[in-house]
Amino acid sequence: MKQSYNLNINADATKNLSLLDSVKNKANRYLQQRSILQHLLRIVLYVILLTMAFIYLAPLLVMVMNSLKDVEEIRNGSLLALPQDPSLAAWSKAWGSACTGSTCEGIAPFFINSFKIVLPAVAISTILGALNGYVLSMWRFKGSDLFFGLLLFGCFIPFQVVLIPMAMTLGWLGLASSASGLILVHVIYGMAFTTLFFRNYYVGLPRELVSAAKIDGAGFFLIFWRIILPLSPPIIVVTVIWQFTQIWNDFLFGVVFSGADNLPVTVALNNLVNTSFGGKEYNVDMAAALLAALPTIVVYVFAGKYFVRGLSAGAVKGA
Amino acid sequence: MAALSIENVKKSYGSTQVLKGINIDIEKGEFLVLIGPSGCGKSTMMNSIAGLESITEGRILIGGEDVTHANPKDRDIAMVFQSYALYPNMTVRGNISFGLEVRKMPKPEREKQVQKVAQLLQIEHLLERKPAQLSGGQRQRVAMGRALAREPKIYLFDEPLSNLDAKLRVEMRAEIKKLHQRLGTTIVYVTHDQVEAMTLADRIAVMRDGLLQQLASPQEIYDRPANTFVAGFMGSPPMNFIDVTIDSSDSLTINAGQQQYQLPLPQGYDLSNYVGKSVILGIRPEMITEPVQHKAGLPEVAVLKLKTLLTEAMGADTMVLTQLGDKELNCRINPSHSVEINQHSEFMFDMSKAVFFDAQTEVLI
Ligand SMILES: Nc1ncnc2c1ncn2[C@@H]1O[C@H](COP(=O)(O)OP(=O)(O)O)[C@@H](O)[C@H]1O
Ligand SMILES: [Mg+2]
Repeated sequence: MKQSYNLNINADATKNLSLLDSVKNKANRYLQQRSILQHLLRIVLYVILLTMAFIYLAPLLVMVMNSLKDVEEIRNGSLLALPQDPSLAAWSKAWGSACTGSTCEGIAPFFINSFKIVLPAVAISTILGALNGYVLSMWRFKGSDLFFGLLLFGCFIPFQVVLIPMAMTLGWLGLASSASGLILVHVIYGMAFTTLFFRNYYVGLPRELVSAAKIDGAGFFLIFWRIILPLSPPIIVVTVIWQFTQIWNDFLFGVVFSGADNLPVTVALNNLVNTSFGGKEYNVDMAAALLAALPTIVVYVFAGKYFVRGLSAGAVKGA
Repeated sequence: MAALSIENVKKSYGSTQVLKGINIDIEKGEFLVLIGPSGCGKSTMMNSIAGLESITEGRILIGGEDVTHANPKDRDIAMVFQSYALYPNMTVRGNISFGLEVRKMPKPEREKQVQKVAQLLQIEHLLERKPAQLSGGQRQRVAMGRALAREPKIYLFDEPLSNLDAKLRVEMRAEIKKLHQRLGTTIVYVTHDQVEAMTLADRIAVMRDGLLQQLASPQEIYDRPANTFVAGFMGSPPMNFIDVTIDSSDSLTINAGQQQYQLPLPQGYDLSNYVGKSVILGIRPEMITEPVQHKAGLPEVAVLKLKTLLTEAMGADTMVLTQLGDKELNCRINPSHSVEINQHSEFMFDMSKAVFFDAQTEVLI
């Protein structure tokens, strides 16, 4: 390019041009350096992320690997080695025939127990939370903020604190050692959270929606059913996922309140691991643990994105 | 019998009194506009009429029936909200017919009513859409449609146009006026826009800090404002206030620093109790103009030389800010007349519509 200027360009202009070029070069070099730095940072970031992910996933990986081995292989080899001859024998034993205390029917019956407790408990606590949230946001009464504040305490009370009073209450109600008793406990404990979720979602809705519906002639439940509930799917998803994982994973309330006939799967898993005839069957333990965790994992895999979406759901458009 | 009577209504939130004893009677078919600065209690008044808020004291009667403690649904009213408050999960059709459905109107009748209202508001093509798919102006129409569908005794509008852009607002304003003329409905309409108030109202109620300042026809409010607040609030640019002394039965003196100016008094204005005393003169900008031929020499007219500070061409006329002593006066002149900035020029004061306020109470004399 420079050559074409040789003939009739005076010295001054050439100097200017070369000055311009040098500025350009510097700028380019700077930009290059910056983009190299950015690339490096990005690589570092990914390395950190992958490392963290690996640290979190490693136990799961180890469990899956060892649940596919037989006991001999685990005992003789390394926990970290890949299975030589993968088999689902341990899984089927964990599911159907492993011993959990005095019975040897695997964890399958307890799986059913868990569902019998979790499904009603999630449904009832979600419905109550929605109604509470609706009242506390749209039908405020004198002292409703205080009421809400007190209810929030429920979110911060550790399980252990309420065990004895709860046991006494269940005794009085004649619900001790029954599935209904355990459901009641989960509903009460979960209601603080579900109310919080729904109330905070509903205060984001325009209160004039309710005013308009009142003027249109609708009452408390009709407004809830026709106006508020149709706007609630995002927060219902969040609440159901939250409650499902909380209650499914609960061990303490289960072991204390369920009674022998309704033990949830978490308690059964504990019994299974602690029951041994002869050597420990790590492969069965791990398969059982994975089975017990399966429902919550499935829920997260399929509904996780709705969970995130629901948590960040904003105001309703077009109200 | 009044369509709506508001009798000594008071409303407090805790220790703060928001409505301090409001009395208004509204005739059947009347268009009443409630106006006042933001926070003066207009929405609270509307919500009290609607029954969305309970009142602390007083009575509210609709068609002669005491509804003070009645539920909103039993008051036979409809309300249009500033935010429209359309049901986001329902179609336009659902929004309009919801109230009818709740009131158990049979479906065929309901359909007919929706159709009628949609036709009236020209939203037939929008019936199957959701509110989120509508523009601001369309939502506004749907909100009105929802109110119109039930054909209640009274319509309440709480700043229905304030979320629209200027052009649309003027259009909808005309449309609301036409609707009122056509349907002859009783309307209470809240706004803080004085042009809306002047153009729409049969009568205007001006509110301030929970108190009614004046309740009168737009022209009366404009010509004979009850006090300096109303005078300053209605009209843009606002009325000029000047401290003056009444000399005699036909002239006054403006004390503007070192200089003194004389102006005639409007004929028939009884100021005999105020001779020798200070009062506040109120004169609208359009009454201070360039000197015009046909008014020259009239007894209620005087010409003063004032310094021009600023001119604003509005097209139809030009606003001029002039200096009178330490005061600034808004004047309105013909755009064909030119005045020099920072120069003194002649301005004609037409005192025929001037008003006077007591210097202490600021109440109209
Ligand atoms: N729920 C409430 N609690 C306490 N104060 C309120 C409440 N609603 C309104 N106010 C107060 O009442 C006054 C009047 O409000 P509002 O009627 O909305 O005024 P406007 O509609 O004229 O702007 C305001 O000062 C406002 O702060
Ligand atoms: Mg308001």
